[in-house]
Amino acid sequence: MICTGCALLCDDVIIINDSGNLKVRNACRRGAKLIANYKNLRADATINGKKVNYEEAIERVKEIINNSESLAIYGMDTISIEAQKLAIELAERKEAYIDDNSTFCLGDFVEMILKKEIPSTTLDEVRDYAYVIFYWGTNPFHTLSRHMSKFTYYPRGKRRQRGYEEDRFLVVVDVRRSHTAKLAKKNAKFFEVRDDLELIQAFIDALDGKPPKIFANDVFRVIKEMEKSDFNVIFGGLGLRYGLKGKYDKFLEMIRKMNERTKVYFIPLGCHPNMRGFNELLYGITGYVNKYSFKDKESKEDFAFYNLLFEEKIDTALIIGTDPLNSLPFEYAKKLAKINVIVIDPRENFTTKIADVVLPSAITGIECGGKMKRIDGVEITLEPMIEAEIDDVSIIKSILNLIMEGI
Amino acid sequence: MPLQFSKYLKIEVEVVVARNSFQAEAVDKGKMSKKFVEKSAVVFMNEDFARRNGFKEGDIVRLSRRGRSINVKVFICETSPRDGVMMPNSIYSSYLADFDNFKRFRAYIELSDGDVTKPDEIIDQIKNKNKK
Ligand code: SF4
Repeated sequence: MICTGCALLCDDVIIINDSGNLKVRNACRRGAKLIANYKNLRADATINGKKVNYEEAIERVKEIINNSESLAIYGMDTISIEAQKLAIELAERKEAYIDDNSTFCLGDFVEMILKKEIPSTTLDEVRDYAYVIFYWGTNPFHTLSRHMSKFTYYPRGKRRQRGYEEDRFLVVVDVRRSHTAKLAKKNAKFFEVRDDLELIQAFIDALDGKPPKIFANDVFRVIKEMEKSDFNVIFGGLGLRYGLKGKYDKFLEMIRKMNERTKVYFIPLGCHPNMRGFNELLYGITGYVNKYSFKDKESKEDFAFYNLLFEEKIDTALIIGTDPLNSLPFEYAKKLAKINVIVIDPRENFTTKIADVVLPSAITGIECGGKMKRIDGVEITLEPMIEAEIDDVSIIKSILNLIMEGI
Repeated sequence: MPLQFSKYLKIEVEVVVARNSFQAEAVDKGKMSKKFVEKSAVVFMNEDFARRNGFKEGDIVRLSRRGRSINVKVFICETSPRDGVMMPNSIYSSYLADFDNFKRFRAYIELSDGDVTKPDEIIDQIKNKNKK
């Protein structure tokens, strides 16, 4: 079975279904807990915090959406591609804004990959061929717990048969000695940085044959290691994204110069199980990965969900499978509390506490199937471990049907 | 939770926000659960930083930034920044952060006599501040 606990979508998880009690083998602690405890703290259908039946809740959703003059649909990174498609259709019909967590996560990098501005690859190829493996501003030990054991540092691959101490070279870049950085011992280098741009400049200088201002010996050594192989990979996380301070051109310049010497690929390491799926789907339909307005038919920073909130451009937010109260800075979260909030989610979360309406859903990958895209863009098919009556697809379909009645 | 005067020494530190699998694992108990709060309302610091600044494991500290403050518990963790502290991604770190300083921001830290801030207190702030 597939675990949807994170964007790795591990496909080797064994589930024993004992009359609805799920026993889990092979998953990491996080995945195992998510699956085994799927019954915990499930959301109820509510209107203004009061329990109602599902039909009443959906009727209220219809009223709110039909009366909305400016709707944003947000989240969707934990639901199937089939459900994402319907949410996009709903946004189109309502001429709404649509956005997901990648807007302040790693969507910019995914867009660069889809536009072929940066070379990327799959995790299976990394396992088989990669020699130098960078983790830049990311700590997979905590975010994607089986990343290193399944795909990068530890496994043997077609052309990597001799084990991690000989056949892989690990580079970790972080502002602190993270658990991933602590693994960088033999055949490895940890760069403890204050400013990511300084290290990028150091690589650019070294590749131009100039002495780098920082980490001179180590930067030259890493480049030398990269030149030993025709397959190296950089995994970048939020630390890199925010460390760049918007200067993506510097990072692209470094990658381009590295690729003049050897082959280097890049994969952004997001955490949400189907963020990549949403980005690719929206890109296929609109040419943009996120922050899109169906009214204006374009994507721009102003249409990022957090900016729509901050500028008070929307009267209603339909939040699907995410918890913006947990992740948005206070100044934005408090604006969300000012407008109509509809939440579709399997579990209670902070945002359900402020929602006008909550529609409880199924946990994708546990109670309903569908397709998702792994962190590297590989499509994965999910089979439900147990079947739920109501899931994101049926909920969004019902909303669409009701909205059509109102048009 | 407005900024308050305190009898304890207040120092400015850099706070690094990072995901933590133990906290993610606790989500299955629910985000309002004691376990999730225990794993979220925390500030990690290394032993040397804690000793230099008079903190120890289990202390309740007040973290303050831009007129907002929260009480969280100190945990000693060797993977914390050399000269700062670390918090997991959560409603607590989001309460203090902004998008210009989303994963790293500066905040004041001091010992506190109070209890750990509950998520409901932050949610009340989010709701109440809107009442016109
Ligand atoms: S690494 Fe992610 S997908 Fe794999 S078992 Fe753990 S939570 Fe599930």
